Amino acid sequence: MLFQLEKVTKTYGRITALKDLSVAAPKGAIGLLGPNGAGKTTLIRTLLGLINIDRGGGTVLGRDIRVKPLDIRQRVGYVPENECLFPGVTGVDFVRFAGELCGMDFDDAMQRSHEVLDYVGVGEFRYRKVESYSTGMKQRVKIASALVHDPTLLILDEPTNGMDPAGRDEILALAHDLAHNKGMSLIFSSHLLPDVEHVCDHVVVMNRGQVIQQGRIAELKRVHRQRYQVRLKEPPEEFIAKVKEAGCIVDFRDDLLEVQMNDGQDESLLWRIASDLSVQIRHLRPQRSTLEDVFLSAVAEVR
Amino acid sequence: MAADDPRTHAGPPVVRPDLRLKEGEQPVPAPRATEVAPVVIRFDEVSKWYGPVIGVNKLTLDIPPGITGLLGPNGAGKSTLLQLATGQLKPSQGSVTVLGEEVWGNTALFRRVGLCPEQDAFWEWMTGKEFVTTCAGLAGLSPAGPAVARAIHFVGMEEHQDRAIKGYSKGMRQRIKLAQALVHDPEVLFLDEPLTGTDPLARRDLMDIILGLAADGKSVVVSSHVLYEVQSLTQYIILLNRGRLVAEGSIRSIRDLIDKHPHKIVLVTDRYRELASRLVGWEDVEAVQVLRDQGGVMVETRQPDAFYARLPGLVADGTPIREVYSEDDNLEAVFKYLVK
Amino acid sequence: MPVFEQGYKHWDGDLSGHAWRWWTIARQGVRIAMQGWLLRILTIMALLPALVLVCVFVLWGFLEQQAEWALPIARMFFPSEVVADPAAYRIIVWTLAFHFFFKFELFVSMILVLLVGPGLISQDLRFNAVTLYLSRPLYRWDYFLGKLGVIGWFLALVAILPAVVAYLLGVLFSFKLSVVADTWHLLLGCVGYGLVIVLSAGTLMLALSSLSRSSRYVASFWVGIWLVSSMVAGVMTGIHGEQAGRAAMKAAVLDARQQPGNPMPAHIEQWRRRQAAEMEAYLDDWRPMIAYTGNLERVGRALLGVDAVVDRLADEVVGRRGSPEGRVMTRVIFSGPRFPWEWSALILLALFGASLWLLTTRVRTLDRLS
Repeated sequence: MLFQLEKVTKTYGRITALKDLSVAAPKGAIGLLGPNGAGKTTLIRTLLGLINIDRGGGTVLGRDIRVKPLDIRQRVGYVPENECLFPGVTGVDFVRFAGELCGMDFDDAMQRSHEVLDYVGVGEFRYRKVESYSTGMKQRVKIASALVHDPTLLILDEPTNGMDPAGRDEILALAHDLAHNKGMSLIFSSHLLPDVEHVCDHVVVMNRGQVIQQGRIAELKRVHRQRYQVRLKEPPEEFIAKVKEAGCIVDFRDDLLEVQMNDGQDESLLWRIASDLSVQIRHLRPQRSTLEDVFLSAVAEVR
Repeated sequence: MAADDPRTHAGPPVVRPDLRLKEGEQPVPAPRATEVAPVVIRFDEVSKWYGPVIGVNKLTLDIPPGITGLLGPNGAGKSTLLQLATGQLKPSQGSVTVLGEEVWGNTALFRRVGLCPEQDAFWEWMTGKEFVTTCAGLAGLSPAGPAVARAIHFVGMEEHQDRAIKGYSKGMRQRIKLAQALVHDPEVLFLDEPLTGTDPLARRDLMDIILGLAADGKSVVVSSHVLYEVQSLTQYIILLNRGRLVAEGSIRSIRDLIDKHPHKIVLVTDRYRELASRLVGWEDVEAVQVLRDQGGVMVETRQPDAFYARLPGLVADGTPIREVYSEDDNLEAVFKYLVK
Repeated sequence: MPVFEQGYKHWDGDLSGHAWRWWTIARQGVRIAMQGWLLRILTIMALLPALVLVCVFVLWGFLEQQAEWALPIARMFFPSEVVADPAAYRIIVWTLAFHFFFKFELFVSMILVLLVGPGLISQDLRFNAVTLYLSRPLYRWDYFLGKLGVIGWFLALVAILPAVVAYLLGVLFSFKLSVVADTWHLLLGCVGYGLVIVLSAGTLMLALSSLSRSSRYVASFWVGIWLVSSMVAGVMTGIHGEQAGRAAMKAAVLDARQQPGNPMPAHIEQWRRRQAAEMEAYLDDWRPMIAYTGNLERVGRALLGVDAVVDRLADEVVGRRGSPEGRVMTRVIFSGPRFPWEWSALILLALFGASLWLLTTRVRTLDRLS
């Protein structure tokens, strides 16, 4: 069990950030989703033992959040969302200092700092002052500073914010590698659902201080039977007409057709029609819900 | 090259007025323009440098009406392009024209152009309504009341318009920024990273708003790093790298033009190894990869047209193809191939 | 030959206990601060009086031993009875040596704090480093203590360490352990005074540093508190003294009118009375408490036992040969205003408390809504 919380409640004055929240997550890569204001940041801070909860309790990596918060933070690496850095130092010093703050020895921290900077892809830039870095570099150094003490759990809060597509790909590959090949558990909080889908196996959806949905992504995404997405090369009007003749329902959105077939029909019908009309089918896949669908339906249910 | 692809650079562009069909409705054949569509924004050999640093380098492009995606890695010149088009910078070389008029120093033109910048800089103590009213005043609107109300209604912020901006969530801030860009009813809008930091709910709403703007006849240029979001908004993109124009046009037509990388097409079928051996025999197939997890094959070909044309015949011959899709027919792949 | 893993490797090493975190923070702060060339030059310059102090004590040690080469040098600085019997005057000389050393170093400390202090917390607030600190296994107090340690390091180097070294050398070179029995309170006083400066000025500077994200504003606050308060105190003390002097002069004039045929020429008498009144007024004045450094100085004097020693000096040494005015002048030159030191201690304590309160509100834990 990676972490578990039981009936945790936290209020700030009139605002209830977490309401009777209970959740248990297994080891692995966990996605944390939720609209703004759902309580994701408060949840993360609770897990790190940084806030005093009003009611309830829980454990992270087997340690009680109320009793051993420092112990937890020694085993957890946290990459906060907003821009933050130790001023006035080079990249190497930054990561080394972060290691020392976790209790590492100076030399150990120095050696480890270089190792981790290699991994996140900061090359010669590491000898320059951190203030001069681009957003992508700053993000990588932040991640390096969270990895330097070899945490068991890495918490990433919007790690690809503001990065260009190449940088985003690299960070996601890094997260995927750590979670699936290196045995590190991950909590990945992001609004970019395709990113979460790429990295995580398990997802926790929050809204208004409660967990409204959790489970393995593969199980939450249903495959719609006999429902297909189709795209043609040519304008689809004739094709749609023929498909409808066969008794199917066609929904036309952007340039994608969604065809709902009846029992006894399958995609061979579409190929036949395509052959008859001499059109090219360029895309044919069974309809799968995306993580976005899962998210939106979960949030809509509660509303 | 697909001549039917909307707004291809080479052929007469086709503007689709209706992007969603209602239940039971027949699709209306899209009207074909008989003349070359008007150019909204034109860059003519524009260069801009800041001291020795080059922002854009001999940029020549025409942006047609509708939604256009502006993409590029960091430092590619996207912000420079936006600033040149909105008159914040003067080109070191060349000329920038929007709606047929030169931009630099043309204050009358700014009435017809709106900018939703990336930075989150507001007068935090103002309410949403006051903020939009102030911006309307700056744009020269007087009286501003009805225009402000219309803009706020359009972005869906009526409920929160009397709250101070300090208490707004990220999605609300983006919307109010959009409202101030819209309040003077411009014909052209520039949106710089409009969807950053918004949760999926707010993102859906904002995307619908942007699509609505295009449906209203406005031209929108959206600059973003998040490729799949851009792809949901439009098929027409401009790709910059190192201050130069790398590609312009619809994603699919650009993909077709990239000769260096053969198209990767996946076919899923029951007896995939048999299919694989058959496909290897086709002339236009360059490589066949067996995908064991998916139960299919991935084919690389430089002649996708010819390949797709043969698929229905394959099915008729007795190979039921359950799925066919292209791995790299999307913006991510195009971006990766062109920017290296 | 195996092919080695190039990606992420796990690390399995020792992690030190939480007790030393503040030291890590302090060490990092010192390292960063020392990158500035101005600070390095100033630190070296601040060590010059330390050198002088050490030389004085070494010299005194040799004087006590009545070493041949020491006597002529000593005669240049000290009156003959001191040279003849150093042991009796040891307390006086040592106390005054420390007193003047600290007087100078107090000024230098204020400048060092000005150079080192402003960026300590304000930069962290500006670049949002506080989140990084607090999300690690340490408490807020480790953070504050670490930052205080940066200031403390420099002040200790410049003030406390030289005093301790000088004391030890003085004891060593006098070759008599009985010295310690007489003077150990001085050692305690020096260290105590140094700690008071570190705690008071340090927390005050940290509190100011937490007020703003710009180190320049913080530096100006500091200069304001230090210099402006000193100037105001100086002006007010001066005015007070002036008034007392004028009053005395008027009284002298009246006296002169009532007693014709006074042996002293009138204006000299007036002048003498005026001087006396001004000096008395100075010694009685409480206004120096307005200056921040005035309070530090007063507490320091109490810790070192300066006033008692100076009284002894005034009565025994100067009084024996000089005039009553000489005694008062000695008191004025060598010590200072005699208001109760408890008042200054209270003021410093109040400032200390206010600084701590300010720090805890400005550097908030992450237990709040973002």
